[in-house]
Amino acid sequence: MSVNSAVVMIFLPLIMAPVIYLFGRAVEKTRPEWITTAVNSAALLVMAVMWIPYVLTVRQFAVNGPIELVYGEVSLVVDGVSLLLAAVALALGTLVVFYSKAQMSGKLGDEKYYSSVIAMTGMIIGLGCANDLFNLWVWFEGMAVSSYLLVVFYRDRPSALEAGVKYLVQSAIGSVTVLIGIALVFAYTGEVGFEALAAANLATPVLLGVGALFTIGFGVKIALVPMHTWLPDAHAQAPSGISALLSGVVIEAGLIALLRVLGVLSGDVMPSWGVLLMVLAAVNMLLGNLMALRQKQVKRLLAYSSLSHVGYMLLGIGIAIYAGQPGGAQGGLFHLVSHGMMKGLAFLAAGALIYAASGASHDTSQDHGLTLSDLDGAARRYPFTALALSIAVLGLGGLPPLVGFMSKWQIFVAGFEAQSVAVAALVVFAALNSVLSLAYYAPMVNAVYRRQPSAAIAGGVDLPVSMQIPMAVLTLAVIAVGFWPRLVYWLIVPAGSALSAAFGG
Amino acid sequence: MMSELSAQSVQIVFAGIILLFGIGLIGLMITRNLIKIVILLQLMAKAAILGMALAGNVAGKPGLGQSLAVTVIVVDTVVAVIALALAVQVQKTWGTLDLKDLSTLRR
Repeated sequence: MSVNSAVVMIFLPLIMAPVIYLFGRAVEKTRPEWITTAVNSAALLVMAVMWIPYVLTVRQFAVNGPIELVYGEVSLVVDGVSLLLAAVALALGTLVVFYSKAQMSGKLGDEKYYSSVIAMTGMIIGLGCANDLFNLWVWFEGMAVSSYLLVVFYRDRPSALEAGVKYLVQSAIGSVTVLIGIALVFAYTGEVGFEALAAANLATPVLLGVGALFTIGFGVKIALVPMHTWLPDAHAQAPSGISALLSGVVIEAGLIALLRVLGVLSGDVMPSWGVLLMVLAAVNMLLGNLMALRQKQVKRLLAYSSLSHVGYMLLGIGIAIYAGQPGGAQGGLFHLVSHGMMKGLAFLAAGALIYAASGASHDTSQDHGLTLSDLDGAARRYPFTALALSIAVLGLGGLPPLVGFMSKWQIFVAGFEAQSVAVAALVVFAALNSVLSLAYYAPMVNAVYRRQPSAAIAGGVDLPVSMQIPMAVLTLAVIAVGFWPRLVYWLIVPAGSALSAAFGG
Repeated sequence: MMSELSAQSVQIVFAGIILLFGIGLIGLMITRNLIKIVILLQLMAKAAILGMALAGNVAGKPGLGQSLAVTVIVVDTVVAVIALALAVQVQKTWGTLDLKDLSTLRR
């Protein structure tokens, strides 16, 4: 009976996604005027119900440790990392469904929107639980497919289509690269299961080659620097709730997939994965920050700042692998959670301002890109949204009482504990990057509070409560976890030790 | 087992995989037509499918290799369908399938 909670957690969203779609179509035929509310409520109900098996699984995990589900030759394992990823996906998914009600009202195809969000959440939960290479690829591809649909949701908007084409083509090349890597591992060992592969002795050149293929393939989704060009377009052109999900969960899911794979391919080349991740981290942080500095659109700026934050996560985990510091893995995963909260909040707040500025027209064929100058004086007209946006960006910049500072601090402490000059230099570099990032976050806060309202903001409509509640929840979370980081330790500590164990730490 | 391949045929199939992957990758760099891009992506995916089947044979588990290959075919078809649906929408909205004409998003 108790094993079933993990099964329900993984498969409930996959069953409910088509149900929501069919429900939406049925409502649309009989009562077209109900569809927005009905589908939104149904999707919200599904998201709320999904927390029950999740909580049961967490309690079971706390008692019995990792839960293994076996289906013939395929097995899924729920461990600390799976629960962490599932928590971030479920929390952001629930808030985004709640948030999207006003945005989706009166739009065609909201049943597709909600069913894709639920399917994507389910695929991410499954990805965290995959226990062999091929299974991991299938969940990863499922997540990618549902995110393609969401990025091009405004399908009559040319810029959204262009972003979707870029995203799809780059992702598809990445997924073929991953497949070739899987085929190579399979040809050399005859195994795809994680345990069997961790025991198999692969020659060093094979390990390096396959690791490179996986880094490139999954790196497209994580937006490692040479493969990042799709990210600012896709994140800026997607509906704002989806930007929050893409930035807060999807790129992190790609990161978890890469770490799982590198963890089983450890062999005697393991420290070099740590070096690789730290080098990629440095490049991502610097380029993300420099590109964000010259953006004019708020959502593109936030998208580029995701690049630099992926860098911090990679840095923490790279330190853990290279120097055997479990604190680095915990810090990296803590930053994964805190980035999910802060970037989710920033995109939701920016989306609320876009919704306000576009008015009641709901014109989907136009790109209502919110520029930085449109933010001027937002605090006069929308005091709460302005506060949420400011807290989110200051947290992303790493200001002390907020959660972004706590997670970065943990990564930096682990870096200095590694007792290596190169790692310490890298940590100093990361800290300087944090200062650099304030150069584009601080002017946003300044503009919001100190300037006269811009035309777009002055003529805006009132924001519905359904948008403000998710922002309030995330704002409270960013402040509360910043003061009491122990609130999320139940997630981070088991995940960190599972990750360290995979890398032999 | 019937599906045991000689060393020579393994090499031929391996060359085929590299050829398919290479044609796909080089083609993607030079073409800007969306339909051609979808076809080239499919070529690359076919290289991966062939790779799965070959890997199963080399590793002595042809059954597993083939079932993985079939799964890749299914997932890959979904991606192709979405890519083509996207192409239809691009044609409707832009009146062209040439990606050179799609450049509203600045870097």
